[in-house]
Amino acid sequence: MNESFRVAQKLGLMFRPSEPLPKDIKAWALSQLQAPSPALGKASKYASIEPWPDALQPDLSKRAQMWRLFRENRKKARARKDGQDTEAAKKTNERNNLMRKKDELKFAHRNVYGDDQLKLRFTTFWANHFTIGNTFDTSSMIGHAIDEAILANLNGDFANMLYLMTTHPGMLRYLDNIWSAGEKSKKVKNCRKRPNCQAGLNDNLGRELLELHTLSPAAGYTETDIRNAARVLAGWGMDFEASNQEMREDANTTNHWQAFKPYYAEPGTKKVFGKTIYAGKNGLKQLTDHLAENDYTIKHIATKLCQHFVSDQPHQADIDYVAQAWRQSNGQLDQIHAAVIERAIDSKEAKFIWPMTWLFQVIRISDATFFKGWNDIYNYDNNLMSTEKIFAELGQSFWSSRQPDGYSSDRQDWLSAEMLERRIRFADAIYNAGSTKQKASEIMDRLGVNEATRSLVASAGKSRRHQFIALMCSPELMGLSHV
Amino acid sequence: MSSIKFPRRNFIKASAASLFMAGVPLAGYTKDRPPGTISVILLEGGMDGLTAVPPIGDPDLMRMRSSMTPSDFLQLNEFFGLHPSLPNYSALIARNQAAVVHATSFPYKKRSHFEGQNLMEGGGLSPFAEKTGWLGRALEIAKLPGRALSLDMPLILRGYRDNDNFFPASIRNSKRPNADLVDLISMGHNSELADLFSKVAKKNTKNAKIPRDPASLAKYAGQEMARPGGPIASVIRVKQFDTHANQVSDDGQDTHGRHAMQLEIVDDVIAAYREGLGDAWDDAIILTLTEFGRTVAANGTKGTDHGYGSAGLLAGGSISKSRIITDWPGLSKKDQFEKRDLMATIDYRAVCAACIERALGLEHDKIASEVFFEPQLPRLYDYIFS
Repeated sequence: MNESFRVAQKLGLMFRPSEPLPKDIKAWALSQLQAPSPALGKASKYASIEPWPDALQPDLSKRAQMWRLFRENRKKARARKDGQDTEAAKKTNERNNLMRKKDELKFAHRNVYGDDQLKLRFTTFWANHFTIGNTFDTSSMIGHAIDEAILANLNGDFANMLYLMTTHPGMLRYLDNIWSAGEKSKKVKNCRKRPNCQAGLNDNLGRELLELHTLSPAAGYTETDIRNAARVLAGWGMDFEASNQEMREDANTTNHWQAFKPYYAEPGTKKVFGKTIYAGKNGLKQLTDHLAENDYTIKHIATKLCQHFVSDQPHQADIDYVAQAWRQSNGQLDQIHAAVIERAIDSKEAKFIWPMTWLFQVIRISDATFFKGWNDIYNYDNNLMSTEKIFAELGQSFWSSRQPDGYSSDRQDWLSAEMLERRIRFADAIYNAGSTKQKASEIMDRLGVNEATRSLVASAGKSRRHQFIALMCSPELMGLSHV
Repeated sequence: MSSIKFPRRNFIKASAASLFMAGVPLAGYTKDRPPGTISVILLEGGMDGLTAVPPIGDPDLMRMRSSMTPSDFLQLNEFFGLHPSLPNYSALIARNQAAVVHATSFPYKKRSHFEGQNLMEGGGLSPFAEKTGWLGRALEIAKLPGRALSLDMPLILRGYRDNDNFFPASIRNSKRPNADLVDLISMGHNSELADLFSKVAKKNTKNAKIPRDPASLAKYAGQEMARPGGPIASVIRVKQFDTHANQVSDDGQDTHGRHAMQLEIVDDVIAAYREGLGDAWDDAIILTLTEFGRTVAANGTKGTDHGYGSAGLLAGGSISKSRIITDWPGLSKKDQFEKRDLMATIDYRAVCAACIERALGLEHDKIASEVFFEPQLPRLYDYIFS
């Protein structure tokens, strides 16, 4: 591939035919970090590209209100009240009040039509690092976390993103923190007086905060550190279904992103990984700041960044370079990302491309239309599958019920006959259903693919469909090394 | 649901010394026809062995976790009950075709899902030490193929190039890949990828209508394993055992909690395997695998946190006598691991080794040193299969 596409494949989502290729690819890549990020998409298949309407991008309090309404209507449906038990009413309830389908389509649209391709790739990296799996009500919050906690803060510091994700209602719910109460909290003390009352600490989020989001087990923290982190977290988060009145009574706010319930909080100071953390709402920021600046955190995440962007087996020098940029900038994400960009460009080694990223890239370079417009989310389309189904079939979705360690960047975890079968099937589906405007030969010329890829495509014969599949499933387009 | 009562003789509360005695040597292994099949159900998230197989005879059980223990458990013997969400499994116990190993774990004590899952699948001496899995290595030695029922190739089956995977696809506007085209694509790739593409070319897609729930996949796997020349091993995942909250539902002690629902899936998977295997059930062994057990005490959010010892559920016609194999450590605070978890007194690798020995006919010493890199691994074969 020519240098423009080689870099755009590793770090971005590739250039659509309408996008001019930059003269200086490194300068372009660095400038991408500051690109504006409107949520670009299409209202319908044949519409032109424009920003998503505000009405389809509700804020957190609106989302909570919609969720409450959804649950209320569902209860009525079960009780056969107010006509909510008809199929039509149930569908309307889901369409009006659930966010997953809209958010997942918006995420796909951004990645296919966005002009901020590097930012979107870094957003994807962090959305995976801070995985929120789909359980119960989190599907209405995952998209909000991706846009508002990650993409909107991509050029801030890591400590801020860490705090925003740790306190995000989606994360607090996913890792069960919303019910956790300190052992010495008022909640637990009052509970002891009543029969069959259960209250106490839940260490799920505390553990993953140390293990996955920051230090990693290499740091050698203890179970006591985990318990104490959970004690700092106790009190954070409220049920998404809570009414505004309950929110005010318990947490003195109606903002789910700042919901801290003193009644559940553990009094007294706590020591986590050598740092004394004070009681109260501000303790958590103290803790996440402490974890964010620790060198184990820096090494852990610098390694993950290099595995994701630089090469399948990054050199220690790559990791050290990124870690050094992290220390020198005190965790400024734009500086860290700039270091990743430099090493990814310098490294000529292949980097395996995730299925979802590959899908977006195939759609972009062939100028296909493979996702429905936002007006058609709930309409059946003979050609286009639902967004939900596309990602489920591909085996990679940020709205799936996955484990908190997220998707692996190790290609070995993605290589199986079924996974490769899906690549072939999706290349086929994009060719057949996507009204691709670019032929394999045109794409090869524009990308400047290597001789091995050209001869592979030539061997596929005269069928344009076969040529297209062979090209998209070539080692070069999948980010794998050649024979 | 009526309880099933079992005579006392089915209950073995063996001492540590008797458990780890060497067993009788196994008859020679012939490559053409392995003695049986082996299927592994991966229980991701950490199954609570104390909920699945509650030690009702332990006086500390109700003291430590009354809210987590089902009141309508099925009674296995004086000491152990079985969760009511496992009716098919309890019927197999009644037929002498199932065994429970209790207070057991892989030798991993640090309570991380991801280290623990890596170790239970990799089977190495420490997490992330191995790039292949224990079942994959065993199949490589035996030169017999296995199949994963998942989109990815799980670590446990990596290590033998003939191992394959299966997961139904449903992608609109795509046809079954043309075998010639797939062959051409494979030629453009390195040998590892070319191997995988050649499997795609050979794939039989007539089964594409199979639903994706674990039980349907297990039935398919059983049918495939029963076929002449079919896979000898299979692996299925059941997720979401990580029940930090709402392990039991609001009314408590019932079968609607999150953990009970997962156990029900395991029960269905075992029943589906049996249905799919047909006559091949007679030589089959199925075993569950989980990364750790859960805390003895409830955590205050109607759930349990990460622990250590758990239980393993074994089933199949190659078991001839139902029993509970355990060296029960007790549940009191002083008996718990780090004063919070069920202690593990049996190394679950030894259970896996015995199942490999039974299904693939490999010698225990070879399994111990070449599959688990632990020459001193005890031989539990006789405790499970004699």
